[in-house]
Amino acid sequence: MEAYRIEDLSFSYPESSKKALSNINLSIDSGEFIIICGKSGSGKSTLLKQFKTILTPHGKSEGEIYFYGQPLSEVKSSKQVSEIGYVLQSPDNQIVTDKVWHELAFGLESLGYDNSTIRLRVAEMASFFGIHTWFHKKVTELSGGQKQILNLAGIMAMQPKVLILDEPTSQLDPIAALDFLETIKKINRELGITIIMSEHRLEEIIPMADRLIVIDEGMIIANDLPQVVGDKLSKMKHPMFSAMTSAMQIYKGVEDDKNCPITIKEGRKWISKFMDGKTIKEELCIVENLNKSRNIAIKLKDIWFRYERNMPDTIKDLSLEVREGEFYCIVGGNGTGKTTALSIISGINIPYRGKVLINGKDIRKMSTKELFKNNLGILPQNPQNLFVKKTVELDLYEILSDTKLNKEEKSYKVKKIVEIMELNNLLDMHPYDLSGGEQQRAALAKVLLLEPKILLLDEPTKGLDNFFKEKLAEILKSLIRQGVTIVMVSHDIEFCGKYADVCAMFFDGSIITVNNTREFFSGNSFYTTSANRIARHICREVVTIEDVIKLCRKND
Amino acid sequence: MMRDSFSTFHPIINFTYFIAVIVFSMFFMHPAFQGIAFISAFTYSLMIKGKSGLKFNILYMLPMLLFMAMINPAFNHAGVTILFYLKSGNPITFESIIYGISAAFMFITVILWFSCYNSVMTSDKFIYLFGRVIPALSLIFSMVLRFVPRYIEQIKVISNAQKCIGRDISQGNIIKRAKNGIKILSIMATWALENAIETADSMKSRGYGLPGRTSFSIFRFDNRDKVIFGVMIGLIGIVLVGAAMGQNTIRFFPSIKIVNITVFSVLIYISYFILCMIPVIINIQEAIKWKHIESRI
Repeated sequence: MEAYRIEDLSFSYPESSKKALSNINLSIDSGEFIIICGKSGSGKSTLLKQFKTILTPHGKSEGEIYFYGQPLSEVKSSKQVSEIGYVLQSPDNQIVTDKVWHELAFGLESLGYDNSTIRLRVAEMASFFGIHTWFHKKVTELSGGQKQILNLAGIMAMQPKVLILDEPTSQLDPIAALDFLETIKKINRELGITIIMSEHRLEEIIPMADRLIVIDEGMIIANDLPQVVGDKLSKMKHPMFSAMTSAMQIYKGVEDDKNCPITIKEGRKWISKFMDGKTIKEELCIVENLNKSRNIAIKLKDIWFRYERNMPDTIKDLSLEVREGEFYCIVGGNGTGKTTALSIISGINIPYRGKVLINGKDIRKMSTKELFKNNLGILPQNPQNLFVKKTVELDLYEILSDTKLNKEEKSYKVKKIVEIMELNNLLDMHPYDLSGGEQQRAALAKVLLLEPKILLLDEPTKGLDNFFKEKLAEILKSLIRQGVTIVMVSHDIEFCGKYADVCAMFFDGSIITVNNTREFFSGNSFYTTSANRIARHICREVVTIEDVIKLCRKND
Repeated sequence: MMRDSFSTFHPIINFTYFIAVIVFSMFFMHPAFQGIAFISAFTYSLMIKGKSGLKFNILYMLPMLLFMAMINPAFNHAGVTILFYLKSGNPITFESIIYGISAAFMFITVILWFSCYNSVMTSDKFIYLFGRVIPALSLIFSMVLRFVPRYIEQIKVISNAQKCIGRDISQGNIIKRAKNGIKILSIMATWALENAIETADSMKSRGYGLPGRTSFSIFRFDNRDKVIFGVMIGLIGIVLVGAAMGQNTIRFFPSIKIVNITVFSVLIYISYFILCMIPVIINIQEAIKWKHIESRI
C-alpha cells in the first residue's frame, strides 16, 4: 500500500520566480523508512511541508499528492491531524504547555477525545517511550533530548500512520541525538509506522534507512538504496557526497571494487580485507609536536567555580594554556562544564578560586573596553541573540557605532568583512530570515568587526550541514593564519578531528587530557572520529577520512 | 516535615476545604471557634512546612499578633469596662483589648490558612478547577506558565550574549546602559515573534483549532474523594446551622456577650474542630497506618 504518491509536484513561493520544488515524482510505501537529505536551502523542508495541508506554506503549487490513494487536499483535517505526525526542528518551540502530561495530551484534547481515552493513550505512550519516570515534571526541568522525545511521544499518542520529521536532531548533542534516532528506528520497526525524515547527521542514520532521497535546488537527484545513492553522488562529484558515512567515503576514495561498506563495522571488515598482506609504511604516522615557542594567550590557573553557594562545583581545579595562533578545541559530554569554562575565560562568570590571565594580564583588572575591544571576541551558542537591526548590513554597522571611526573607515571595514564572510547577497535580508549557517556567518562577521585577537566559539557547528561546516572551517583557518587564537567548545568530534591543532577532553569540571589532535584521537578508543574507528586497528594515527584514503593508497 | 496526604486528594476537595475554613475563620469570632481554627491552621502549617514553618510562625506571626493586639486598644475606646485612662484622657477598655486580641488571632489564622493553601493548591490544580468552568482558560493558564519562565530564561541568554560584545546593562555609563537594555528587549521581542511561528505550526499540526476540544486532567474523583467530600459537606452544614442560630458569634461592644454553652453548641464546636482538622487527621491516620505496615514487615 502506498502511503504517499506525489505526481509532478512543483511549488514556488509568492513573489518568487524561482521554483522551490520542481517536478517531484515520488512514491512512498507504507512502513518505509525514508531519509531526505540535501544542502540547507535545497528545498527539503519545503517538500516535507507539502505532506500536511495545514503546514503547507502559501505559494503556487502544481501537481497532486495522494495520501493512501486519496488526494491530500480532500483528506479531512481531523484525519490529517491524527494520521500525519509532524516533528519540527527545535525541541523548545514545539512545547506548548507547562507539564509533561499535559503536553502528551495536547493533540488528543484537540481531537476531542474524552478523559478515559486520553488517559489510556497517554499511559501507553509514556510507557513506550520511558517517559513515566518524568511524567509529572515541568517541561523546563527536561533536557533537550527529553524535550524532543516528549514532542515525538505527544504526536505518537494520536496514533499516526506516517511520521514526518524535519531535522529533529539538529539542536541535540550527539548522545541525545543517537537516543532519539534509535527511538525513531524502534517506532518504524516495532509499530510499522512510515517514517519520512530530513537530516544532515547522516553517519548514524544512513544504516537505518530503507531509501535515501537527495534533493538539490528543488529537484530529486537521487532516490535509491543508500549504497546506490552513494555511488551515484560520487560519480556526479556532488558536494552532498561529503555527507555520506565515513565508510562510504573512504571506500569511494580508495576505488575498490568490492561491495560498498556503510556502517563502521562493515568499514572495518572491508579495510582489513583490503590491507591484508600489505605492510604499513611508517612515514604516514608522523606526529607533529606542539609548538611551545609561542606566547601564551590564555591561561587558567586552578579555577574553581559554582553557580550558587549551595550548588556543587561546576568547574573543579581547571588549568589550561592556549598559545597564540592556536586552534584549541574542548570536547566532552553534555553538562561537564565546557560552556561554563568558556564563560570563565570571557569574564562573564567569575571563579571563586584561581586566576584567569589573558595575554598575561588578570581578567579582573581589565575594563570592559579593554577586554572586548581588539582582544576577546565571543560567538554565543545561538547567533540569533546578537542581531539587533532590520538588515544584516545595518547590524554590521551597529557594532561599530561606539567606535571613533569616520564613515569611510566604517564602510571600508564592513565591506572587507562582508567579502571574507561571503555575505554580499544577504546584506538586505533580515538576520532572522537567514538559514542557520548564514546566521552563523553574519554573527561571526559582527564579532570579527571588533577585531578580536582571541576568538571564543561555543558549538559553532550545531545545526550546520557539512557544506557550511567546511565553509566555516575555511574562515577559521584564514583567521588562524592572521594570528588569531581560537578556542572552541564542541560536540562535533569529526570537525575537531579535521581542523583543530589541539584537542582537550573535558570531564567532570576539568580537563582530563590535552594533546595535539592526532595524538589525542589515536589515544582514545571510543571518543574518536569514525574514520579513526574504522582504521585504528591498522594504523592508530589516522584521524580523518583523507588520512585513511592516503593510508590505503600509499600501501596499494 | 512529612508527606502531606491531603494534597493528594482531588483538587475540588482541597479547594472546598480551604474556601470553607478561610471564610469561617474570617466570620466566626467566637473564642471557641477562633481557638479551634488557630490551633488547626498552626498544626497543619507545621505538618506541611516542618521546621521552616515553625520559624516563620514564631519570627513573623508572633510579633504581628502582639502588635495587632496592642494597636487596637490604643485607638479604639468603645466598651463599658474601663480599666484606666491614658495621658491624653482616652480610656482603655477591657472590651477593646479583647477585641484587639481576637482580631489579631483572626488575622494570623487566615494568613496561616493561606500559607497552607499555597503549598497544597499547586498551579496545575488551580488550572484544572478553572478549566472546568472555562476550558479555553486552562490552556491559556498552562501556556502562560510555560512561556513566562521561558522568556525570562531567554532574556538572560540574550543579556549574556550582549555582554560578550560589551553591550550589557551592566556595562558602560547610565545612558549606554539604558540603550543596551532597550536593545536587549528589542532582540527579545523579535526572538519571541520568530519562535512563535514554529510554536504555532506545532499547535496547528496537533489539531489546535479543530472544533470540540476537550480538557484532559490527571485528577480522578475516586471513592476516597467521595467519602471525604460527603463528610466535609456534612460538617460544613452543621456549622452553618450553628451560624444561623447565632451560636458562632460574639458581641464585643458595648459589653462582651456570648450565647450560653449548651449540648448543641458543643456539637457544633466538635463539628468545626473535625472540619478544620481534616487534613491533620488524614495525615496522622496515614502515618499510623504506615507505622503499622512497617512493623509487620
